[in-house]
Amino acid sequence: MTVKRILGLFNDFDQASAALRDLREANLPYLNWDDVTIKSPIEHPDVESVLGVRSIPIRKYTLVGALLGGSLGFLGLATSQGNFFSQLKGGKPIIPLPPDFVLTYEMLILGGVYITVLGFLICAGLPHRIKSDLYDVAVSEDQVGVMVKANAHCIAEVRKIFEGHKVLSMQEEVVQ
Amino acid sequence: MNTVTQGKEKDIREDIAWAQINRDVLASLEQPRGTYWALFTMAFCMFLIGVACEAYQYDRGLGVSAMNNPDVWGLYIATFIFWIGMSHSGTLLSAILHIIHADWRKPIYRFAEAMTTFSLMTAGLFVAVHLGRVWQIYYALPYPNERWTWPNFQSPLLWDAMAIFTYLSSSILFLYVGAIPDFAICRDNATGWRKTFYEKLSLGWMGTDRQWRNFRVAYLVIACFLIPLAVSVHSIVASDFAMSQQPGWHITSFPPYFVAGALYSGCAAIITLFIMLRYTFRFEEYMTMPILDKTARLTFAIAMVWTYLNLIEYSSVWYGSDAVAKETLIQRATGPYAFWWWSMNFLGSVVPFTLIFKKLRANLTVMMIVSLLLNLGMWLERWMIVTPTFSHGYYPWTWDHTFFPSWVQWGIVFGSFGWFGMLFMLFCKLVPSVSMYEVKEMVFHRKLAKIHVREA
Amino acid sequence: MSLEQTINDWSKIRQRHPLPGSHPDLKWAMAIDLDACTGCNACVVACYAENNLPVVGKEKFAAGQAMHWIRIERYWNEGDEASPQQGAQFLPMLCQQCEAAPCETVCPVGATNHTPDGLNSQVYNRCIGSRYCSANCPYKVRYFNWYNYPEQEKVWPEPLPMQLNPDLTVRTKGVMEKCTFCVQRLTDARNAARTEGRPIRDGEVTTACAQACPTSAITFGNLSDPHSAVAQKWRLQRVELEKDRQLKDIDGSHPGLRGYRILEDLRPYPSIMYLERVRDNQA
Repeated sequence: MTVKRILGLFNDFDQASAALRDLREANLPYLNWDDVTIKSPIEHPDVESVLGVRSIPIRKYTLVGALLGGSLGFLGLATSQGNFFSQLKGGKPIIPLPPDFVLTYEMLILGGVYITVLGFLICAGLPHRIKSDLYDVAVSEDQVGVMVKANAHCIAEVRKIFEGHKVLSMQEEVVQ
Repeated sequence: MNTVTQGKEKDIREDIAWAQINRDVLASLEQPRGTYWALFTMAFCMFLIGVACEAYQYDRGLGVSAMNNPDVWGLYIATFIFWIGMSHSGTLLSAILHIIHADWRKPIYRFAEAMTTFSLMTAGLFVAVHLGRVWQIYYALPYPNERWTWPNFQSPLLWDAMAIFTYLSSSILFLYVGAIPDFAICRDNATGWRKTFYEKLSLGWMGTDRQWRNFRVAYLVIACFLIPLAVSVHSIVASDFAMSQQPGWHITSFPPYFVAGALYSGCAAIITLFIMLRYTFRFEEYMTMPILDKTARLTFAIAMVWTYLNLIEYSSVWYGSDAVAKETLIQRATGPYAFWWWSMNFLGSVVPFTLIFKKLRANLTVMMIVSLLLNLGMWLERWMIVTPTFSHGYYPWTWDHTFFPSWVQWGIVFGSFGWFGMLFMLFCKLVPSVSMYEVKEMVFHRKLAKIHVREA
Repeated sequence: MSLEQTINDWSKIRQRHPLPGSHPDLKWAMAIDLDACTGCNACVVACYAENNLPVVGKEKFAAGQAMHWIRIERYWNEGDEASPQQGAQFLPMLCQQCEAAPCETVCPVGATNHTPDGLNSQVYNRCIGSRYCSANCPYKVRYFNWYNYPEQEKVWPEPLPMQLNPDLTVRTKGVMEKCTFCVQRLTDARNAARTEGRPIRDGEVTTACAQACPTSAITFGNLSDPHSAVAQKWRLQRVELEKDRQLKDIDGSHPGLRGYRILEDLRPYPSIMYLERVRDNQA
């Protein structure tokens, strides 16, 4: 069976949620709920109650990044002079703790922020080629889109459900 | 100008159509007209004056700035700290108010974040300008070299370098990541070179729930990092002074004092830019008077914190047994810098009391003037920290010399404002200065709240 | 760099300074007798000649941009201002080569460090001119090259460059400099002594200022050599390098002591002991 995608645009979150709830109750076979996504101009306030809980792995990236940054700060910057031609300065020890603390702290934040951004890009799937996906400019304005990917038979059912919920427009395409 | 109607005036109307929000903000990104070019040319000329002064100084040597022994730091360091300080309220608005869910920040935080980024870039100029051998500034970077030398990480100046680098890059990332959905909106409504530009910047954002989910968490996490970072950056800049031995500098309360001063001057700058943007781009629906009111009240609160820390410094020196520090304080109040010092105290502690009066808070002209005066006071504060200590330090041989900066220093300081202006004006035409998706969120949630109130 | 060097360095990492015995062989120090100083400025001139110091001219001197590594300061008691020619006390002030120098920690690029023989070194080619060291110096004995004296200000018109000392550089603009205890002479003496396989003898090397002083007010030598003149002077005055308050100032129980160090309570542990001037009214 051919796999197709359909995008239905609704006026607001309530109508889109209603359509999604109907879709869930219809219990269509061969419809993987992970293939259902919402495209919206702002975040859906109750998206979890409609789509179910989905994982957000970013925080792991943050932890890894912060630890990497902190160790780079301590070993690479602050204490490294102890490995090179170390020279006494101002009566202080060669590896003094207050400056090391400051640098470790800063580098921890640096690492945390950079790797979080990297994690965000990876987890959100950016950069993304729009041409290889269904999209309508109305999504960035004020309409909420619901996109479903399934086999052609399911898509026909989905189309009927959408039409029952005052969908404003629909797009369909065959997935290669 | 809006007048106060019965009942509380709203931060934003709940019935603004989202398409309207898009249109209003995108209108600000249109091809600029004559006034814009005139202002940009003015900023550019200011910048050129600064460049010319720096070229002269670079060629002849730092002596033309009228600095000498012991007055080795002048306006460059003072203005450096001023610009770093101004950057802090961008973070305050973006990050701190985000975490406490104060949604009135939503229409104004984008340009505040941009102000953060550009003031940090301007501060970076002063690091270069004040060095004796600018062409070897890379010695301060930790790079492997055959001499096995490494920068001296015990020096507070290097902690500065690391902290400011972290803060600048994190601010740019925060600004950029937070603007990705807005770039998507711009992409969907642009043509020609702008469309390609926004296509690249928006990274193919489609607003899927997966993207929003991760976006929300990433934004929150970076905001949580940025807050301790912002506090630490200005504390580290303060430790340039606090970690030295000089009287008038070696004060424990300097780090929080500097952070308070930074928030203060940043909030005042936000008010200035708020009024300018509101007028220029006709953002009256979004940058509303109640939001200005809240920002002004926040500025007043921070002004009082700053005043308190200032007075703490004076009283602890006055009642302490450190004779030299006390003499330095008395010299600040009665010596050659007395006029500037008293002006600083007046502008920083007395002028903010105008922000108590609701009538004055609602008057745009008054707010513009007051915000500029507050920033002038803050700039004077930085100068009064740097120079008077040199004119009355520990060593008697250095006393009774009066040091004032030369035209070269003033020129470069002047030029830095031109540079900042240029960057900010570029920003206004390339990046939406009001965050469209956040305003939509604000309108949406307030509408929901109103419905629930009605139902309840 | 080798494994041995790394291990050696790491073993010193938590060592604070100064500790008694941190300079067992060689520690350069000075004693300046303020009673003998007549304020003649011979030391200043000698320093200019020895260290290639530029004479900046009247205008720049008045603007405070002079380059005198050693300077004679004049102090008067209160009430003596009416007749300034009488009663001025002269104080030669030069870099105190502090053991715990406040300037060393704050240089962003590490252009100033503490050498094993107890000097505060200034590395001209590392300096990028941030001037934090001068800001932190309590004595303000660091001098910045505000202009390019040799090439642009032309302080040495021909044939004056012939009199420059070839043993050290002429500094360009943007670089910090200060008294080095004539380190070029010390290096020569150290090399000569090492070639001959013997320690440096007391009096073998001296600084230009000590050499030029007509009243021998400046004594220079190795503090770690118990028989050197400077070590004897310090011992006589009961002044110790690692203390932050000397016996003379602790209480009045030793009225005969004259030895003190300037701004000692800031604890930079300077290497120059000053001998207080014996005042006429006390005698």
